[in-house]
Amino acid sequence: MSVRVVQNKDERTAFDEVFLPHLPEAYRLAQWLTGSASDAEDIVQEAALRAFRGIKNFGAVNARAWSLTIVRNTAFSWLAKNRSKKVVYMNDLSAAEQHELEYEGLHGTRIETPEEIALFKADAEEVQKALAQLPAQFREVIVLREINQMNYRDIAEITNAPIGTVMSRLSRGRQLLMALLGDRR
Amino acid sequence: MVASLRDNDELQLNAYCDGELDPVSANEFERRLANEASLKARYARLLSLRQAVRSLPQLEIPANLQARIKSSLDAERSRNVTVLRQRSWSFQALAAAAVFGAVISSSVMMTIEQYGQREGVANQVVAGHIRSLLAPQPFDIASSDRHTVKPWFTARLPVSPQVPDLAAQGFALLGGRVDVVGHDPVATIIYKHAAHTLSLTTLRPGQSVSEQTIAGYNVRSWSDADFTYIAVSDLPGTDLATFQRAFSAAAPAPEIK
Repeated sequence: MSVRVVQNKDERTAFDEVFLPHLPEAYRLAQWLTGSASDAEDIVQEAALRAFRGIKNFGAVNARAWSLTIVRNTAFSWLAKNRSKKVVYMNDLSAAEQHELEYEGLHGTRIETPEEIALFKADAEEVQKALAQLPAQFREVIVLREINQMNYRDIAEITNAPIGTVMSRLSRGRQLLMALLGDRR
Repeated sequence: MVASLRDNDELQLNAYCDGELDPVSANEFERRLANEASLKARYARLLSLRQAVRSLPQLEIPANLQARIKSSLDAERSRNVTVLRQRSWSFQALAAAAVFGAVISSSVMMTIEQYGQREGVANQVVAGHIRSLLAPQPFDIASSDRHTVKPWFTARLPVSPQVPDLAAQGFALLGGRVDVVGHDPVATIIYKHAAHTLSLTTLRPGQSVSEQTIAGYNVRSWSDADFTYIAVSDLPGTDLATFQRAFSAAAPAPEIK
């Protein structure tokens, strides 16, 4: 028995060192991915349990990216389980629709972002709504970049996508966001 | 859709905003920004969007969340313990059995693992032999002179075996090559017996593999204090045994340098 307790203690120590420091960030990520504070709590709690069970798999490289990857994946399976109609999944779409979304914009029209449009004075509520309307794949790269302030490499690792895809999604997602905010005027 | 210049600009603009351009590209981009009004306007828009997103109010993490997580981990741990406690066996007996079981299974696992690794070695050695037969020549250095082959190995490998010429016993020295087994370069000596080629790969001692046939090639392996030898050839097993006797008799352990 003593063997087991020691082992548990080690795993606990590892968990405290690897996952716990990133708890506030994990919560913020979950909150912006799901758009719900109470969902975020549940997700972070579940992610913590997953992290604890998988702490042996942590490769001692990037604790922050490792932790946020688990949170991100937990959030996505959470969303899939409790999916609302508002959430659009890339994988649900046909190849043509995916292409249209990645390259043509939300409504099939090429997004124009005329230079003369004034700078954003949108209030927080508007931005929040627009962010929530974005398809999940675009929202997550923007949240990871702007809210969590991660670099492209870490975003690529967390979202399990090539850096090139991260770049185009960021660019596309920002254009979509601008278009959504512009529509509101 | 053909990626237009504009799309490329858009990517660059984003990467520049995110500080992900390399210094040279960033410098170039800044020069363009200064000269192109429309690019500058888009840059300003992007920055203001960023500002809008970054200034979103951030919820503080609920004060009790960390405590709840910790207690859920405690619950997880005590669940594991309870499962064990519920058994009717005495606790110590169970613990002893568990430790004993762990020792047994780990040693079994180690044996299986070692076995697997060794058979992997045999496969790699045979693969080296096959590859050499497909190449224009089965050797990197061609020489029937042991005083040429041995120094050639010495110059390339941390340890190198004796290279006896066994022409008198029917195994003429052809030359040597370096194979890679695992991640280690190792010395392989090539002999010719009638029309047959024989590769003798030398590994660190203690890696003998069982006598076997892989992909139609016979494998025979033995060790001395300095090396494990693996002989591979399409010769029958009895000829490989003859070769082993001849080699062992002719190759005294290398002198200590």
